[in-house]
Amino acid sequence: MKHLLLATASCLLAAAPAFGQTLFLDDATVIAPNGSSRTADIIVNDGQITAMGDTLTSPDGADVMAGLWVTPGLIASKSTLGLVDVGAESATNDISANTDLASASLRAADSFNPRAAHVANARRRGVMYSAIVPNPTGDTIFGGTGLVASLDGSDDSVINDAAFVHVALGETGARRAGGSRAAAMAQLRGALADVRRGFLTQDEGDVLRRRDAQALRPVLAGRIPLMVSASRASDLLALVDLKADFANLNIIIVGAEEAHIVAADLANAGIKVIVDPLENLPGSFATLNASYDNVLVLDAAGVDYAIGGLSGLGVVKAGGLTQHAGNAVGHGLSRDAAFEAILGTPARWFGVDLGLMRAGSAASLVVWDGDPLEASSAPIAMYKDGEALSLESRMTALRDRYNPTTDDDRPYKYR
Amino acid sequence: MMTFRTCLALSAALIVACSPAKDDEKETTTFELPTAFPSTYKPMPSVTTLITNASIIDGTGDASSANSVLVVDGRISAIGTDLSADGATVLDAGGRFITPGIIDIHSHLGNYASPGVNAHGDGNEITSPITSEVFAEHGVWPQDPGFDEALQGGVTTLHILPGSANLFGGRGVTLRNAPSRTVQGMKFPDAPYTLKMACGENPKRVYGSKGGPDSRMGNVAGYRKNWIKAAEYKKKIEDGDEPTRNLQLETLAGVLNGDILIQMHCYRADEMAQIIDLSKEFDYKITTFHHAVEAYKIGDLLAENGTCAAMWADWYGFKMESYDGILENIPFVHAAGACAMIHSDDAMNIQRLNQEVAKARANGNRAGLDISKAEAWTWLSTNPAKALGILDETGTLEVGKRADVVLWSGDPYSTFSRPDQVYLDGALLFDREAGLKPQSDFRLGTEIAR
Repeated sequence: MKHLLLATASCLLAAAPAFGQTLFLDDATVIAPNGSSRTADIIVNDGQITAMGDTLTSPDGADVMAGLWVTPGLIASKSTLGLVDVGAESATNDISANTDLASASLRAADSFNPRAAHVANARRRGVMYSAIVPNPTGDTIFGGTGLVASLDGSDDSVINDAAFVHVALGETGARRAGGSRAAAMAQLRGALADVRRGFLTQDEGDVLRRRDAQALRPVLAGRIPLMVSASRASDLLALVDLKADFANLNIIIVGAEEAHIVAADLANAGIKVIVDPLENLPGSFATLNASYDNVLVLDAAGVDYAIGGLSGLGVVKAGGLTQHAGNAVGHGLSRDAAFEAILGTPARWFGVDLGLMRAGSAASLVVWDGDPLEASSAPIAMYKDGEALSLESRMTALRDRYNPTTDDDRPYKYR
Repeated sequence: MMTFRTCLALSAALIVACSPAKDDEKETTTFELPTAFPSTYKPMPSVTTLITNASIIDGTGDASSANSVLVVDGRISAIGTDLSADGATVLDAGGRFITPGIIDIHSHLGNYASPGVNAHGDGNEITSPITSEVFAEHGVWPQDPGFDEALQGGVTTLHILPGSANLFGGRGVTLRNAPSRTVQGMKFPDAPYTLKMACGENPKRVYGSKGGPDSRMGNVAGYRKNWIKAAEYKKKIEDGDEPTRNLQLETLAGVLNGDILIQMHCYRADEMAQIIDLSKEFDYKITTFHHAVEAYKIGDLLAENGTCAAMWADWYGFKMESYDGILENIPFVHAAGACAMIHSDDAMNIQRLNQEVAKARANGNRAGLDISKAEAWTWLSTNPAKALGILDETGTLEVGKRADVVLWSGDPYSTFSRPDQVYLDGALLFDREAGLKPQSDFRLGTEIAR
């Protein structure tokens, strides 16, 4: 694996440097998982950080790159990577399932394909890990059990195959549950109560079958998060109430467009949120108060939040993660906070080991050709646990075949 | 004018229509597109404004050495170095960038308005594959809050299209992004109408079980059958036959006449090539392919035929015909000498088209191209204006044009930059520091209302 970058180097174009065994990063801006930055020289040799300091000397034969940026691998806190090839083609789309047999216990990990083209396409934009989230359909509010995976493309890239359970409240939950928020909340509360039931047969729960109740057991105990899609302030407060009744719940709200209205309540209840800093339109009546200020208010109120790519800017949304975080900075969030919201915070929530950025550690890092929060910047090298990750993907293969600067004059299908 | 070539291509049943007019009492005439729903747009009040000390990207594609722009009566009256003007309100840009207002050629603001409730689904007349009789403007709600947000992203002109379910979707309309109670009050004066057409998966998916088309073959047959009818309708009028007015055919005849510009939703390269041949069969021009996720595969063909492509920076993969998307689509099409541009198709994306172009440019240059910032700006305003037939009026900062100007807080290609001020016809419609911004009726009464 570690020689992949070398092996593919000959296909890279002039603008994408090909690296040898040793990399000398001179005056790199190094971002820590908590978002703080410092300037350092780094030597990466055979996937190991062999030295890191203020004024190192370049080893003989090293590829020297000055003034670049280095981050840990980014984390997409919500994606469907590896669950779908082509969204509109149902045969290739495992994001949701309408079945009477199971709900919360449906394991997205059983659908996950590390070789899906979108995985590599997202990886080459700096996203190294993701929480991968199944969605509800039919008459259940439960999407199922989500996974956390590395996007390294390997067969052992699943980090946690039962990392959280996803449930939808708000308008989606109401629709699934029969037509009202009350019905959705009744389903959720009934399900949590079912977890405590001693099942004698598989289908005697008020809401859940036995296997689904079992899948929710670690959620009720707070061992894994309950990820909840919700937007409206009143929906978020309903979750504050739920947490009061089920104190161990580790709730992560996804969307939370109106969280700024109830930020103090969320902070007090210790409820986490994944927000998209771009959400500023009243796309529904649940988001009438959507505002660019959302993330700024959450940050000031001390809410534990991550930034996700949940809205526009790329239909396969994980790819544009840095642009979402960068726009938060454009709206006034500190750079440190924006980085932490795509690094340290989701790493802590989802149990992702970002590696250590210090001499003697296996390299787990992304080298960028500019400020990673600028949409125009891109990774030029990635390592995970000492192994170089490929920056090639189906997209780059198409790019290279049709590149107008190529001097390859063979017919396209022979390139 | 129906050409000889076109006559040959039509079915035998129509040969008569192409024969020389019989010497009866009817006089031949030319087809003229009837007008209705005229623009009532009036620029907001403006003052003579001199912007000085600015870094200027003027939209011509070349680097500008000018640093001043003078706006008189809503038009650009001078652009140059260290201009002065008696009595003008002077805005010292302090080195900040000014650019032409951004033009989005593909928006559904107003016809798929926020909030996205069922009642706001006014963008697609999904009742027949042929609905060239509908007009996007009749489904546009001027209170869509998205217009206000797009303005704050620097968008001064936008084109609203019907959706893509139908082979012939209906007429598109070009709007000034002006605060107005009515759509007529936003219509770009004298901008040509457009006709939305659609290739590929959408029509066959929507109508496959509703009488067709059910395949790409059916799509093309559907286009051809209706162009034949349109040519016949137009010929009747030109022959002085005065047929019963037919709104469907009137729009198509307007295309054949060159008055209505074709804006065609089409993803796949091979399909765009088929459509180019279709346009030759019936002697009309395809102004722009929209989405055009595979345009990079046929940049040469687009250049050769003078057809533009309106694209995303990085959207792909949501359906089969978008699976081959690459991050270099726009720059590769540009490098082939074709007319390339960004488009949004989205109420969020429209607010950051400058960033989308920044991404596309950077990816193109990473792949070995050398596209300057000035050149890339043509994707944001110049080429969209050209493809909408309004380049004489806007799209660049040149003397005589409407003063549609954006003052940016920093480099417009930076993710951290924002429009500080937006001028439409020289009138200041958005001023970040002063808190001046339009707010739709719908936003009133919320916690975040101004």
